[in-house]
Amino acid sequence: MNSLGRIFTGFVAALLEAWQELRIHKLRVLLSLIGVTIAVASLTTAVAAAGMAQQLMTEQLERNGRPALITTYAMNERGEQVPSVSPQVTEAFAKTAERFNVEYASMVSRSFGYQVSAQGATLDSEVMIVDPDYAPIHRIFAQHGRWLEAEDAQNLAPAVVVDRTLYQGLGLDQGSFPASVEMNAGNQKITVTVIGATSTKEGGLGGQLWMLPQTYDHWFAASAPLTDASYEMWVPIEGSEVLAAHFGSQMQTELPGYSVQSMRSDYLSWGADESLKQLALAAGGIAGVILLLGSLSLLNVAMVTMKQRIREVGIRRSFGATTGRVFFSVMMESIVATAVAGGLGVLISVAVVTNPKVISLVLGQGIDQMPGFPVGAALTGIGVSIAVGALTGVLPALVAARVRIVDAIRV
Amino acid sequence: MSGAQLLKLENVTRSVLMPDDSELHILNGISLSVSEGDHIAIVGRSGTGKSTLLNILGLLDRPTSGNLAWRGQDATRLSARRAAHARGRDLGFVFQQFNLLPGRTALENVMAPLMYATGRDFWRRRTLATEALEKVGLGARLDSMPQTLSGGEQQRVAIARALVRKPRVVLADEPTGALDVTTGRAVMELLDAATLESGAALITITHDINVAALAREQFRLEDGVLKGLAAEVAQ
Repeated sequence: MNSLGRIFTGFVAALLEAWQELRIHKLRVLLSLIGVTIAVASLTTAVAAAGMAQQLMTEQLERNGRPALITTYAMNERGEQVPSVSPQVTEAFAKTAERFNVEYASMVSRSFGYQVSAQGATLDSEVMIVDPDYAPIHRIFAQHGRWLEAEDAQNLAPAVVVDRTLYQGLGLDQGSFPASVEMNAGNQKITVTVIGATSTKEGGLGGQLWMLPQTYDHWFAASAPLTDASYEMWVPIEGSEVLAAHFGSQMQTELPGYSVQSMRSDYLSWGADESLKQLALAAGGIAGVILLLGSLSLLNVAMVTMKQRIREVGIRRSFGATTGRVFFSVMMESIVATAVAGGLGVLISVAVVTNPKVISLVLGQGIDQMPGFPVGAALTGIGVSIAVGALTGVLPALVAARVRIVDAIRV
Repeated sequence: MSGAQLLKLENVTRSVLMPDDSELHILNGISLSVSEGDHIAIVGRSGTGKSTLLNILGLLDRPTSGNLAWRGQDATRLSARRAAHARGRDLGFVFQQFNLLPGRTALENVMAPLMYATGRDFWRRRTLATEALEKVGLGARLDSMPQTLSGGEQQRVAIARALVRKPRVVLADEPTGALDVTTGRAVMELLDAATLESGAALITITHDINVAALAREQFRLEDGVLKGLAAEVAQ
């Protein structure tokens, strides 16, 4: 038989021996592995929770603009206190954005004091005046219907997208898109067409809806002219600071009589990710201590057990077990056991972390979008449990391998 | 009739260092030749070095001086790994206290040596172990735990385990020591018949002269010296 076949047979046999040993001593194994299961569950939960919290926070932060977000505005030097919203500024921004090959760019302005009614329900709302690129820039998308497109400016009825508050509050979730709702601003009543709804929700009681600048100009600007506007661009992070400076200078040359400001304004530019890193570090540190204690307890039990199994090792050596084989078998026992315990710990962690009731209990509130359990956390849990098995298996395996057969049989 | 020579001891000594740095001589100038089909008994009182001699014959221990040849090769120079392989392949042990693995059935105990076999013997371990247990009359007790078997049955499981890899030499250390006279005799007859059938050499270490009488060749170990015993047994 070739050596490869011998190695394969030896490996299979060692695995079988390990499994047999665990089966026979299941109560002892179970008790000694409780610590490892809890430790791996804690570690995986900490890693997963930190990962999920990071993902949630990132998504929330990106609602204000994904990195790198460059915000540009122009102030009229004749003494205006707010960024100007003139067609001249909009045109200069568009021209400069085209010149710099900016892929995602949008005007952003707000108008307040609207009431939106449908099916007997009325809700307060603010209006966001944006271009179609606003959605990818702010990581929002139409969960129902569709988002705004440039062609919507040609519609005979104003096209809008509503948020979740309006979608549910106005009973739009009972019907299909497009749907008609009525907007009131002062004495003005305009019927608008809702073409989609997002999953986002503003913090207050009121809702939020989005429409194109052309739509607002045509239907609403006469009664409620916009007071200010800024312009946003989503660009690659690398070189974004330099781009912002060059963009501002170039747009300035297009706008004599204005003062143009262009700068990074996403969360990375003000260091919000630092708190996320600290959160992950703290959670990992606590889990590491738990894991260390679990491993020490496992090692303790394994050493005591090995002392009691010396005779058995001697008998196996008389059958022809080599020192290498004895070492490998004892190591495999430890690894197989901790891998099973680790798998169980990961399952417990998944059950805890993905349970909405547990999340509500911990956070004190529900969350809008439940992120998936991070695969990396599960793999970390399994990997760590196998490493713990190998580390805590080394000492008992050495003790077993160094046994003198004649002494062991006499025990 | 003897076949090929398997083990040969020439002037073998074994001594150990005592805590007070003095040397304790356990075996002195032992010479012995074991061939296929031999049935040898070595008798001696407790503490005369019987188990030490068995350990050397079973490649579990090494002589302090002298020559030990295993199938024509110098066994004192065998690496631990080669000695282990030789034990697994060619030597079977039967112990006084049976030494069955706890928590395992009779079948699992007999399968245990086959876990260190390779090729067909490993993959057919269940069949081979079942056949071995059937040969010693325990075909109906395959799934019995050692503690549910009588002393005689436990020793028969140990015999099946020693024979399952078809060894060339079976070493029995006080195989009847923990059994009553009738059961002990039955066990020895079984061991004798099984080794006779397989052609393996049987070396029995015992303090019981009646057990030794069942062998075709007898020796007495006294003060670490091995002497022929034919006349004593005949009387």
